[in-house]
Amino acid sequence: MKVESFINDLQSVPWSLVAPIIILSFILMVIAFIDCFKHGRTNGPQWVWILVIVFINIAGPIAYFIFGRRND
Amino acid sequence: MRLWLILFKKEFKESLRNFKWLWIPLVLILLGIMQPVTSYFLPDILESFGDLPEGAILNFPVPTAAQVLAETIGQFNQIGVLIIVLAFMGIITGERNKGTNVMVLVKPVPFSTYITTKWVHMSLLMISAFLLGFLIALYYTFELIGTVPMSHVFKGMLVYCLWLLFITSILLLFSVLFNSTAAVAALTLGTTITLSLLSSLTPKLMAWSPGMLVSHTFRFFETGSAGDGFWLAAIITAVIIFISLVASTYIFKNKEVVSHTT
Repeated sequence: MKVESFINDLQSVPWSLVAPIIILSFILMVIAFIDCFKHGRTNGPQWVWILVIVFINIAGPIAYFIFGRRND
Repeated sequence: MRLWLILFKKEFKESLRNFKWLWIPLVLILLGIMQPVTSYFLPDILESFGDLPEGAILNFPVPTAAQVLAETIGQFNQIGVLIIVLAFMGIITGERNKGTNVMVLVKPVPFSTYITTKWVHMSLLMISAFLLGFLIALYYTFELIGTVPMSHVFKGMLVYCLWLLFITSILLLFSVLFNSTAAVAALTLGTTITLSLLSSLTPKLMAWSPGMLVSHTFRFFETGSAGDGFWLAAIITAVIIFISLVASTYIFKNKEVVSHTT
C-alpha cells in the first residue's frame, strides 16, 4: 500500500512545471563542479567546495562562484 | 574608440572565463521560474503542509498576472541584486589590491575609458541576465495565471532597467572609493535597501528618490501609465548615474596618481 501511495504522489507532481527547475539547477551544479575540479584554486580546501556544490542545491554553486573561486 | 573596444573585450573575456556570463543568467532564470510557479501552487502548498483545523476555509484571492510579475521583480530586487553586487564587488578593488590594473594603466589608457568599459560591461551583464530571467517569468505567468498587455510590461521593464543602472553606477563609485571588497558590497546593498525601504514607507517624502522607480515599475505593470512624480524620480536617477560616473573617474585618477608617485 505504501508503494502505491508513493507512486500516486509522484504522479501528482506537475512534472512539466518542475522539470525546468531541476534541469537548470543540475546544469548549474555541473558547471560549478567541472570548474572547481579543473580550475583547482579555491579559498579553502577544494574537497569541501566540491561537497558544497554537490549537496547544497542552487545556493552551493552560487556560493562557490562568489566566495570559493580564486580569480587570479 | 578602438582602445575602448579593446578594453571592453578584455572585460568580456574575463567574465567569460569566470563563468559569470553563464551562472548569473542561469540563477536569474531559476528565480524567474520559481516565483510564478510558487504563486500558482501556493494554495496547494499551504493545504499539504499547514496543519489547518478541520473546516477552516481557505479563501485566497488568486493573484493577478501583474501582481505575480511585481512579486518576481521583488525577488529579483532582493536575491538578484544581492548576487550581482557580491559577484562584482571586486571589480576595481580586487584588481587594485592584486596590482593587475597597473598592467593596463601603464599604457596610455584614459582613466575614463577604464571606468566606462567596466561600467558598461557590468551593466550589460546585469541587464541581460535580468531580462532573460524576466522573460522566462513572463512566459510562466502568461501560461499559468493570465496575461498583461505587452506594452505595460515593456514600459515597466524599461523603468526597472534604469534602477539597475543606478545600482551599477553606485557600485562602481563605492569600489573606487574604498579598498575593501566587503565595504563596497555592504555600502551598495545598504544604500539600495535603505532607498527602496524609505521609498515604500514614505512615498510622499521620497518622491524624488531612485528607490521609487521600483514602485513605478509595479504601477506600470498594473495600469500602464506613470504614477505621480515618475519623471522627477527618473531624471534625478539619470543625473545621479551621470554624476557618479564622472566622480568615479576623477577619484580614480587622483587615487592612482597619488599611489604611483609616492
